[in-house]
Amino acid sequence: MTLEISENNGTMLGVLSGRLDTAAAPQFARDLQPLMDNADKHIVLDCSNLEFISSSGLRLFLSLRKQTISQNGDVTIKGVSPEVKQVFTITGFYSLFNFE
Amino acid sequence: MKDTLKLTNDINEVPRLGEWIDSLGDRLGLLPDKVFNLNLALEEAVVNVMNYAYPGQNHMPIYLTVDDNDGFLRFVLEDEGVPFDPTQTEAPDITLDADKRPIGGLGIFLVNQLMSKVSYEYKDKRNRLIMIG
Repeated sequence: MTLEISENNGTMLGVLSGRLDTAAAPQFARDLQPLMDNADKHIVLDCSNLEFISSSGLRLFLSLRKQTISQNGDVTIKGVSPEVKQVFTITGFYSLFNFE
Repeated sequence: MKDTLKLTNDINEVPRLGEWIDSLGDRLGLLPDKVFNLNLALEEAVVNVMNYAYPGQNHMPIYLTVDDNDGFLRFVLEDEGVPFDPTQTEAPDITLDADKRPIGGLGIFLVNQLMSKVSYEYKDKRNRLIMIG
């Protein structure tokens, strides 16, 4: 599981690749910190290569979303597979984020 | 076909669970979305045991058995830890806004959503969670 972060014209882009399972979540939480530190900005998470997510990963998505709410930023998720999208839908997470 | 995976209560073992389920999917010719849902539901059930069954103890056993009689996949998750019935946990309110959503509580909810039937028994000093997928 990798997260590559870049910044372009004030937008933070995070590109996720691999399986975000419970074993990968602690490292992902550390990798996510630069986005948590920029929660006042527009954050885009490119999930085109995100193969899997479980509740440990969803929890981190929610932490980031909460942080952006408190700092007037926002989170857009793009490129999710139908399987990953289904996880967001059945947990009610779909309505918490902007999807592209 | 019957197969058992033995794990210990260490979250670093979760990828081994994923490999076992992927291999099961290959052997049984399951569709990718079915394999995805089994990965998710079984990871949530197993992680719940890893986190709570054996407080303060390491290298403790967890067994996951699959049986594919009659076209149904029957999974039995067993541990020898603290008796706990996850089917009695309260479902989270999934309609709350992000700022009001609690950070946890989705694991067992996902198991219930993704498996067609989930039941629990405590037998021979083992927690047994039976999941029909």
